[in-house]
Amino acid sequence: MPILKNQQREECVGKYKRMKKIPTEFWMVLPALIVLVVITVFPFIYTVQLSFKHYPYIQVQSHIRRVEWVGLDNWIRMLTDPKVGRYWIVTLKYVLGALSCEIALGIAAALLLNRIRIFQDLLTTLSLSPMFFAPVLVGLLGRYMLHDSYGVYSYFAHQLGLFENISIFGDGRTALLALIALDIWEWTPLVTIIVLAGLKSLPREPFEAVSIDGANAWQRLWYLTLPMLKPVLLVALIIRTMDILRYFVKFLITTRGGPADATKIVAIAVYDQAFQAWRMGYAATLTLSMLIVTIVLGIVFVRFFAGMGQE
Amino acid sequence: MKLRKKILLLTVTVLCISFLAGAIYAMTEEEKWTQFEGKGITLNFLTEDTPAAGAILDLLPVFAKKTGIKVNVTRTNVGDLVTKLMLELGSGSSEIDIIYAARWQIPPAYSSVLVDVTRFNNDPTLPHIPMDDFFKPHLISTSYFVDKRRQIGVPHDASTLIWFYRKDIFDKYKKAFMAEKGYDWTPGPNLNWEQYKEIAQWINDNVSEVKYGAGHMAKQWNSLYCDFSNVFWAWGARGFENPNTESWGVIFPGRCLWDSPEAIEAAKFYKDLINNVAHPSCPSWDWSDLAEAFAKGDEIAMSFNWHDFVVTFEDPARSKVPGKVGVALAPKGKDGKSHNYYSGAALAINSYVPEDHQRAAWLFLVWQASIPVQKAIFKKGSTPVRKSAYQDPEVRQWIAEKRYPGAGIADVMYEAWKPENLEYVEAKMPMFVETLIIQYTELAYMLQGLKTPEQAMKDIVDQVNQATGWTDLQEKLKQ
Repeated sequence: MPILKNQQREECVGKYKRMKKIPTEFWMVLPALIVLVVITVFPFIYTVQLSFKHYPYIQVQSHIRRVEWVGLDNWIRMLTDPKVGRYWIVTLKYVLGALSCEIALGIAAALLLNRIRIFQDLLTTLSLSPMFFAPVLVGLLGRYMLHDSYGVYSYFAHQLGLFENISIFGDGRTALLALIALDIWEWTPLVTIIVLAGLKSLPREPFEAVSIDGANAWQRLWYLTLPMLKPVLLVALIIRTMDILRYFVKFLITTRGGPADATKIVAIAVYDQAFQAWRMGYAATLTLSMLIVTIVLGIVFVRFFAGMGQE
Repeated sequence: MKLRKKILLLTVTVLCISFLAGAIYAMTEEEKWTQFEGKGITLNFLTEDTPAAGAILDLLPVFAKKTGIKVNVTRTNVGDLVTKLMLELGSGSSEIDIIYAARWQIPPAYSSVLVDVTRFNNDPTLPHIPMDDFFKPHLISTSYFVDKRRQIGVPHDASTLIWFYRKDIFDKYKKAFMAEKGYDWTPGPNLNWEQYKEIAQWINDNVSEVKYGAGHMAKQWNSLYCDFSNVFWAWGARGFENPNTESWGVIFPGRCLWDSPEAIEAAKFYKDLINNVAHPSCPSWDWSDLAEAFAKGDEIAMSFNWHDFVVTFEDPARSKVPGKVGVALAPKGKDGKSHNYYSGAALAINSYVPEDHQRAAWLFLVWQASIPVQKAIFKKGSTPVRKSAYQDPEVRQWIAEKRYPGAGIADVMYEAWKPENLEYVEAKMPMFVETLIIQYTELAYMLQGLKTPEQAMKDIVDQVNQATGWTDLQEKLKQ
């Protein structure tokens, strides 16, 4: 018996020594890693495997059809479906329209706020307020402000002779523009605050030097401020690109993708497939395509800005 | 001796069983209702936010006092309700005891998960509901799916698309219209759809109180499908080959028939109505927007909307038209009949919950269908689903005095729910929502002028047949 106890003790000591070799940092990071795996890695792997399955949720419950491994069928369907191409074109129009305006307006607002000397903090806080509205609220606000019958913006537009016999959300030509405008209103402040933080951190010396050399305000902006802000703009661009591709609540509340799919972005198609048609496999495939596009855009932005930096 | 003993034992056993059975049968009505008292049962009820749900919520203390059962009610919009139920039932959850079973989604997807209530209705230890007191079309379309022997719910509400119109405008201009057009324009099945369009156009041109004659809920969503259905059925078109698709429900509906000549004619009429006659905002309106436009008073004079919206229209706080609202059955179709679109729901019991919860839930179902509760629902502005409620002397008096919002529409609704006037337009099949998305999307393309009615209908048929599996089946049969 004592021999056995000694052996056990030696084994325990061995284990303890082996564990001691693992750095303390690992144990400190481990809980966060576990949380990360549970909330991101597992769902990601699950989504990937779902994209290779025919998973008709309703039929499964009705015992009509079973879950089937279908290989690349969902991917082939997605790549060959002309409708998906149309959803991507709408998404692209929306992303380009909203992002370009948000970046331009965000830079302009940040430059303005940076120059203001009195009540700067108050004005900055106030200008950020749209960003704090929940997307659902922005959708509802947009819906009521632009309502053809009693919307305040519609009223002023009608007074100016605009959109008199056109329903803003009911016409394919205006619905997407209205949604882009809503996004610009909500998210320009985010770009503003990021750029403003960047402006505050810029060194003063180069500006003083070019001022002595006689550079005007426009030259200072174009040749000095904007190039120095590139890393900050990259952050703003990447954050907004990821967000804009994912957020779809405004669309769901205002147009639900209509009229005639004029505002049907890919995220709405994912929602329709997952929670209307309950085809989880195909919805997973569309979701992954969004992820791939986001990653590709991120890489493009990084390379583009890195290239500009080298120039 | 042994034989005697056996006979004695048998006699005692028979007597015991008879005594027990007698005791059960002798359970008083009150004992049936109070059998769960003191057992601490709490039921969870998930429902759409309807006037009927509101009335029931107000009366829950009465139910708790009567039975000792507590009920937690969660109310939400129909979209969220369906999503939550699909996920809850799909995961085998027993969190929700009583389910608001929207007929077009829950029974086709989860009929096997819903309790067959026939066994409770036949149980002598539980109170029962006279099922023949419900409107037969309601009972069939909300409480069964495919299997005609298995009742999976109890009718709860009966949302029906009805013709709302501005009585004041129709009275004021009646003579002027008649002098010009030569017929009485009072809304109802005496008119046809062409006349409806003509009336709408006449109001556009001659009536200053409103901007447009007609408003429709033509937003690319479920509302567009519902609104188009009014016209679709009136033209004599049918959705699918299988005649049970809309009533009892089906697993496979057969070929989609939306490319029939009747369907194409209906689409042409609808496109013209929406694009050239109705309010230009129609393509952005769902049923709530349409109700708001009607309640605003100066937008439209007529609309087809769910009859429950009468509560909004008759509420002075939310509407500028209380006391000015008339209701009528839909215009007659090509077959000379009025086709009114029904989309009610039943209350069902989740079979994943324990037996005592199921039995307690049955008590709740019986109670909510009882005449006193039906009358409370009526007072709240909705309409009872029990036929006998309409014969109740007090209800007759309310209707005569038009005392509650529902009183003004009760008789019209009673007429609309007769089998000869009612259509269950939503197909009851597992893949309905997928086909619904296809249908309203293609209709929206048509309304935006991006497809002709013929093209849109053909594209609907191609895609719907793919979704229902009909195309695959044909290909397999060819092989």
